[in-house]
Amino acid sequence: MKTAERAHRLAGILREFPFLGEISVENLLEVVERELGHPEILDGFRPYAGHFSRAIPREPILHVVSENTPHAALQSLARGLLLGARNFLKLPSGGLPEAEQFGKMAVEAGFSLQMTGGRETAPAMLREAKAVVVFGSDETISHFRKLVPGDAVFEPHGHRISLGMVFDDPRGESAPLAARDVSLFNQKGCLSPQDIYVAGDARGYAMHLAREMEQFHRKDPRGPVTPYEAAQIADMRANYRFRSANDPRVQIWESAGGTDWTVIYEEDPWFAASCLNRVVFVKPLPDDPAAALGPALDWLAAIGLWPATPEYVEKLAGLRPSRFCTLGRMQDAPFSWHQEGRQTLAPLVQWVDFQP
Amino acid sequence: MIKQKLSQREAKVLAFIEEKTGNFEDLILEIHAWQRTACRPYANFCAPMPSPATWHEIPALPLSAFRQAAIRCFSEGETERTFRTSGTTGEGYGEHHFQTLEVYRAAALAGWQLAGLPAGNVHCLLPKPTESPHSSLSCMAGWLAPAERFFWKDWDPLAKVLTGTEGPVALFGTALAFLDFFDWLGSRTLRLPEGSLAIETGGYKGSGREIPQEEFYARFTEKLGLEDIRNEYGMTELSSQFYAAGCPGVHRGGPWVRARVIDPETGLEAQDGATGVLRIFDLANIGSCCAIQTRDLAIRRGKDFELIGRDPAALPRGCSRSADEMLAR
Repeated sequence: MKTAERAHRLAGILREFPFLGEISVENLLEVVERELGHPEILDGFRPYAGHFSRAIPREPILHVVSENTPHAALQSLARGLLLGARNFLKLPSGGLPEAEQFGKMAVEAGFSLQMTGGRETAPAMLREAKAVVVFGSDETISHFRKLVPGDAVFEPHGHRISLGMVFDDPRGESAPLAARDVSLFNQKGCLSPQDIYVAGDARGYAMHLAREMEQFHRKDPRGPVTPYEAAQIADMRANYRFRSANDPRVQIWESAGGTDWTVIYEEDPWFAASCLNRVVFVKPLPDDPAAALGPALDWLAAIGLWPATPEYVEKLAGLRPSRFCTLGRMQDAPFSWHQEGRQTLAPLVQWVDFQP
Repeated sequence: MIKQKLSQREAKVLAFIEEKTGNFEDLILEIHAWQRTACRPYANFCAPMPSPATWHEIPALPLSAFRQAAIRCFSEGETERTFRTSGTTGEGYGEHHFQTLEVYRAAALAGWQLAGLPAGNVHCLLPKPTESPHSSLSCMAGWLAPAERFFWKDWDPLAKVLTGTEGPVALFGTALAFLDFFDWLGSRTLRLPEGSLAIETGGYKGSGREIPQEEFYARFTEKLGLEDIRNEYGMTELSSQFYAAGCPGVHRGGPWVRARVIDPETGLEAQDGATGVLRIFDLANIGSCCAIQTRDLAIRRGKDFELIGRDPAALPRGCSRSADEMLAR
């Protein structure tokens, strides 16, 4: 199957998963062209900087995906399929229905894919893999790093943090967009903001955000969480209730009758890590955001901006997130995005050059 | 002599613990009413909430409050002792201040006795109270065993003492200390006299060691021949303890301390057999705050509970780095 045909079939499958956004045949081929230099370079030798080259997928590719993040799993798998590689998919122990469905459709469409579940990855798959893409915690990544054969490419995608920055919004017009970014996927995606930094009246913005969190909740409830997750939210709330009772620089807004959403205003700009599940901090935007982010800088994925102007992006480029976007679109990473600041197709191929 | 120095409230609580005079509900409501005015940070915390009609409604202070403010109902100058939390969760130290240790001592000794634990021949796998003056656990153990029965990190003397002992012994120590002792024993085993038992306490926080409780208890049997193993549940921010026997055991405290398992979603008491977070009402916490909201998960067993603890394996799933992971770095 040629690349164009693969792109065609893949786009057909991806259409069944609208949460991934619109991904056309042209989008897919453009990613191949951007990353590998020519849309047909996987099909044969094509001109490449004065000579000819051909890209060959490093296969089989083993995709180890984590629970509750079907986005990353499907995007990773789609990359492997687009390359025309043989693919192994290791499903999380708790299952991932979207990935399973996607996998079944891919097999029916003639792609090469083998799926496995359970806690242990079939050792044969790991031994055979020439590329291993892993999504998961530091512990999971370190576990697989040790197991990956020396000649295989290892592409880890660890847990990340994201945040929002609001520069010019005295009336809180972007608050519904921030509420969407926080609430979608219950903050379990690496693109989910945990803190929103606001220039100007940050406390006022927190109030707007609280109202919008409630609005979003009414439309799209969070759903149940585990007792441990609920306990973490309850603990964080109690902690900040105590803080707010004793410190006017702290204020908390929370959903009534449950742990559905929580907004915490804190004047201290130091990045506060959320316990997730729709718990978000609002803080004044400091003059030096890098200092406020501290160690969180190492894990920065996306910054959602309002307004998302080139001037602000250039000004903040030194923070080195892997993605800037406008608030409200933090969860809509395109297929072509540089996840964790890296190319996503290029590491999964090897090259053959032909110099006539 | 010491009792004469106690306040009227302390004397009442002491009488309740030691002589069972009075009743829990009246006492805790009275003490809460006083703490609500005497401890400024707690007073601020309680301000938006009405006065409780029953002890269930007493506002519970989160543990983090002990890190963020001085939780005491007396002046700094009147502080006799301050115990510190281990700080192993990466969030800094919490401090529990005491104006007098008399009530703490009474609660610890009476709780030990009520759990059916022996008064004599206690050996502690803990630092001596003099070497660890900020440890409430060492302080408590100091009331149960003399200094020469404390063993810490150097396990050879403990092994020698245990080898030569004739009557039943009680070993009291942290889970980590026991694991360290078992590692030190290696392939050797000791056989303690019949009737001996062990009381382990504390988790493995920050140690990087994780071992299922069942496997942990099996090591007591394998290494020391012990079948009777207890867990002590206590914390720096409390003055009373709960004890459970076996695995999984049901934790129970004395009449002066009560636990409620709270559904964190609703804030209401969990159904019997359901999981929630532990809220402790401890009369002996007279100088600080009687109602403490812990972060520990537990299963409600009537008026008692089965401890699950803070389950690190239950982190929210996904690829967003959470607060717990940030702290774990």
